[in-house]
Amino acid sequence: MSEGPDLRVRIGSLELANPVMPASGCFGPELGQIVDLNSLGALVTKTVFADPRSGNPAHRLDETYGGMLNSVGIPSDGAEAFVERLLPRYLAWSPPTIVSIGGLTVEEYFDAADRLAGVPGIAAFEVNVSCPNLEAGGLEIGAVPEIVERVIAGVVARSPVPVIAKLTPNVTSIAAIARAAEAGGATALSAVNALQGMAVDARTRRARIGATTAGLTGPAIKPIALRCVWQASRAVSIPVIGIGGIADVDDALEFLLAGASAIQVGSATFTRPDTMVRLVDGLRQRLAEEGVASVGELVGTLDTRSSEHDLVTASAAG
Amino acid sequence: MSVQAERRSVPLARLPDSGPFAPVVPPPVLVEAPVADHRRVAAQYWRLSLAAPDIARQARPGQFVMLTVARPGEPAPVLPRPMAIYGVDSARGTVDVVYRVVGEGTSRLTGWRPGEPMVTVGPLGRGFVLRETMKRILLLGRGIGTCSLTSLAAEACAQGVRVVAVASARNPDALIGPDDYRAYGVEEVIDVVDSDGSSAVDVLAARLDAACADGVDEIFVCGSGRLLAAAADIADRTGAGVQVSLEAHMACGLGFCHGCAAGRPGLPHETPLVCADGPVFRYPDPAAVPA
Repeated sequence: MSEGPDLRVRIGSLELANPVMPASGCFGPELGQIVDLNSLGALVTKTVFADPRSGNPAHRLDETYGGMLNSVGIPSDGAEAFVERLLPRYLAWSPPTIVSIGGLTVEEYFDAADRLAGVPGIAAFEVNVSCPNLEAGGLEIGAVPEIVERVIAGVVARSPVPVIAKLTPNVTSIAAIARAAEAGGATALSAVNALQGMAVDARTRRARIGATTAGLTGPAIKPIALRCVWQASRAVSIPVIGIGGIADVDDALEFLLAGASAIQVGSATFTRPDTMVRLVDGLRQRLAEEGVASVGELVGTLDTRSSEHDLVTASAAG
Repeated sequence: MSVQAERRSVPLARLPDSGPFAPVVPPPVLVEAPVADHRRVAAQYWRLSLAAPDIARQARPGQFVMLTVARPGEPAPVLPRPMAIYGVDSARGTVDVVYRVVGEGTSRLTGWRPGEPMVTVGPLGRGFVLRETMKRILLLGRGIGTCSLTSLAAEACAQGVRVVAVASARNPDALIGPDDYRAYGVEEVIDVVDSDGSSAVDVLAARLDAACADGVDEIFVCGSGRLLAAAADIADRTGAGVQVSLEAHMACGLGFCHGCAAGRPGLPHETPLVCADGPVFRYPDPAAVPA
């Protein structure tokens, strides 16, 4: 084995070769046509529902200042078709495959977990609790701590593999949601999913997105995502996977320092399809340059004195 | 699937994976392609030439590339831009696109200078199928949609296929392709514009009938629902087939973002995807055409 920084991270029983993985929805095995997916820490599927469902009407995408809006609507072929047709294409690669599951009711999550639990090759589940909750008037499932705990506990009870709760930022207290997921038995959290947003065309006076509202992602949401990771990681003792606007090594390090044990890359894969691979290489190089032996050494080590602090005290002393 | 055209809905089918209507689909690559040349070619249009020999060698007419407008180290604009391959020069190893400046992304794109390496993915999608049985073809392009047809014209002319090409636009400044069509050896170039009424469907239809008096084997369309409907009308009367290249918003170009799903909402499936199943589709269904 070559000398160099140790990039391995542990998410419960899951050992990853490095902390870099795709964010659900912004990835598919199709990317393997142009990028070596074997260099990633893990693969994460698009969200699978128990039963087939269609996506939203066009337009589904829009660009914003430093970000993008998407309202694809989580189309899914359903659990059985996923296992038969799509999962093998993920399993053709060596990194562990994390399967994202969703539902519009609590029972639908359990249904998806029931149908997927025990399927060979699934290394972990990531529970997408950002779906609209049909039982609560469309409020996100992930916005109510009690529901998050129920959903996670139910999936954990059905799953032989680690369960990651993917948190939504569209909440009053992400710490409360994080604690609820931990209480439900989650192995880890991932934070955050897209922020709710929308876009209007003033000239035509029409919505720019077919479903009117959409999820905002990309560099524009990074400060919010960092804050969420910071607050969530301080509220729980399980690992947090950071997501939100990560495009380069500095971004990744910022999330690690703020408390993330690993990171996911979403929109930046669209900008540059090789972003994740470059991040793995860049992290290795950067840690070596800074004399950091293991990526785990950095996790949650943020010095909360602002970086202007020394300047201020120096001038006060002068 | 179907596309809503102004006068009629034209049902389109995915080109098959095998048989006479199966497109050649080379594997895409990701390259950092230096800008070889970049210039304004009309009021709103720019032509960008990228040194991408691996793409130039493989690309088929009707395929596209995804161009990252964000410079290396810049995180935005977040979305790359899908662009039809206007032409390739396999000797020089260059891939050309022509684009219209419509917003922030394309206006930033105009700032790219020769030598700067642009993240480019391609060739992407399933392009046009030019069969040996097609001796005479008609190309119908409108506005920026013409950019999907120019490389097809070049290849068809090189193979001795007789080509009639229509370039339609709002006004003469927005016409793309007529000069290149003539340079490739297109037999008849018909440019029509809204500003003098020549692009009106009934006016154009009469000229198309005259141009197709010797018969037409296949019609290729991009950029206009009205032109697609006109092509389908000719096809119904003459037995010609129609291949149309669709345009859609997309983020990945490979098939995983699902931004470009063209299926009807409400159906429990997402296909076809314009990027991976298209962008070229056919009317009538190729499966219904005897080999």
